[in-house]
Amino acid sequence: MRPILECQRLTKKYGNFYALSDLTLSLDRGQIVGLLGPNGSGKTTLIKLAAGLLVPTDGHIMVNGLSPCADTKKIVSYLPDRSFLNEHMRVREILSFYEDFYQNFSTERACKMLDSLEIDRHMQLQSLSKGTKEKVQLALVMSRVADLYILDEPIGGVDPAARDYILRTILTNYDENASILISTHLITDIENVLDRVIFLKGGQLALNASVDEIRTQYGKSVDVLFREVFKC
Amino acid sequence: MLGKLIKYDLKASAKIFLLLHVLFLLVCAAARFLFMDRIDFHAPAKTLIAPITAMIVLGTFLISALSLCTSLLITFRFYRNLFSREGYLSWTLPVSGITHLWAKIISGYLLAALDMAVMYAGILLLVTGRNVTDAYQSIAPEIAGSVGMPLSSLGLWIFAFCVVGALSSVLLIYFSICIGQLFPAHRVLCAIAVYFITSFVIQIAVLVIMAALGLLDHSAEFTTLADEMFTLLVPNTVFSVILCIAQYAAVHYIMKRKVNLI
Amino acid sequence: MPWNLDDSRPIYLQLMERIQHDIISGVYQPGDKLPSVRDLALDAAVNPNTMQKALSELERSGLVYSHRTSGRFITDDSSLLKKIKTDLAQEYISGFLGQMRHLGLDDSETLEMIKQSLGGENNEANP
Repeated sequence: MRPILECQRLTKKYGNFYALSDLTLSLDRGQIVGLLGPNGSGKTTLIKLAAGLLVPTDGHIMVNGLSPCADTKKIVSYLPDRSFLNEHMRVREILSFYEDFYQNFSTERACKMLDSLEIDRHMQLQSLSKGTKEKVQLALVMSRVADLYILDEPIGGVDPAARDYILRTILTNYDENASILISTHLITDIENVLDRVIFLKGGQLALNASVDEIRTQYGKSVDVLFREVFKC
Repeated sequence: MLGKLIKYDLKASAKIFLLLHVLFLLVCAAARFLFMDRIDFHAPAKTLIAPITAMIVLGTFLISALSLCTSLLITFRFYRNLFSREGYLSWTLPVSGITHLWAKIISGYLLAALDMAVMYAGILLLVTGRNVTDAYQSIAPEIAGSVGMPLSSLGLWIFAFCVVGALSSVLLIYFSICIGQLFPAHRVLCAIAVYFITSFVIQIAVLVIMAALGLLDHSAEFTTLADEMFTLLVPNTVFSVILCIAQYAAVHYIMKRKVNLI
Repeated sequence: MPWNLDDSRPIYLQLMERIQHDIISGVYQPGDKLPSVRDLALDAAVNPNTMQKALSELERSGLVYSHRTSGRFITDDSSLLKKIKTDLAQEYISGFLGQMRHLGLDDSETLEMIKQSLGGENNEANP
């Protein structure tokens, strides 16, 4: 089976700045992968290239063997690092929007999640708090039965209790054939959930190893290793 | 998918669009019943000029405002839905950039055409009072003679040309925004600049072409207004069709290969 | 409640130890069915693949066996259970003795102190 995500000499330039340079990488199916790196290391750029929001300057990125297109977007469920919904819509309108466009969207699953987060479906998005909006977005993204989930900072803006709920949500909805790529700064919170981590540094690959490999090899947690690799 | 996209596009603009256009029709109706119907065309011409001039100025202003609002609605929908943070959702739907483009062209054009239709209806509402038609009746043959056709036909023709022209104005908006987003640091500014520069260039080009075809020098030779209109509008329309195709090609290419949401 | 895992050692090893401990201390009885990988992973708040690996390793040690269709069970081989219990106790003891020696106590002193504290405990238990 082809890797779910492959990058070959992937390069993305903004003006004269190389956000990613010459990145070669492949992600196997059925794994939860942490995408880690300091600010400006290229995490979000990589994610946006995979989601099809950016066009590579050079090299290739492939999802399920295809360059990002309508067909890859069917199987990729993407959570951006910012709020991306029309604020004037009500939660239930957004649910039907998702159902309209994504065949793999389960309204039932989304409703269940929203209920357990005690979010009123009749509310307008703009009247919800920032954290609640993030929860709605995550519920939508995790309610798709996708092959690849790409989550950009899914736990950054919510309180620790919600963070635990979100991680449980990710674990509960995860099935063996799906892959999850999570970018975050909060390594300790998600370390136990990850199979593998990718460290990006200045737009290049600094490390690609399984969590237990790191622990065996270095005798320290990913979080501690991260602090050493990216010491300022 | 195309149908669904169009549905959501229309839904997004529907409220404000309906509000503005219903308001416009109400103002027209009020003007008709409170003002137009009370004009006595048998009164001396001197007393008629001031109110009718005021009416025409006001009407022109209202119509310009309405079409500006409609253009803004179309502009904001395109920009917000595809190039603001909402673009993060739009561009990750299982839909190609070209489908997005067609959805926007169709929904935008529907609004623009509907806008024209409502304006036309508003004008009709203003001028179809008994007193106006009676007054017109007395001068109809004279006007039809100098225009080359009855005024009502002329109005319909102008309406038809406007409806066709609306397509190029919608495309010009999309073209400007698409070019603008190629410069991520100054998206909006670039889009506005492109809009005005392109409009200016088009005006100049039209003048040059007409001059080249010898249409400007001999305006005196036109026997009637209708004659002149057709001689001028036909090449104009041909030009705007070519322009539409060129703009579409550019937008198509950008939407397919050059969209970067930074 | 997420399981308490420390930072420096491989996660699957710690999961193995925890389950092993639960089996020996009787949380799971011999012959019991183990919860599914997914449930265990959720309970521990860890990656299901890591939990899967821990269980496979436990299978290799013979403590757990899997039945093709119905899931994983605790072995009812009591001699194996006993052996693992003894091994684990042995491991704790040698670790403990190591620490005592590190403190500078020789083995006879340690034994004396153990006896004393056991005596103290007995007195507390039967006043």
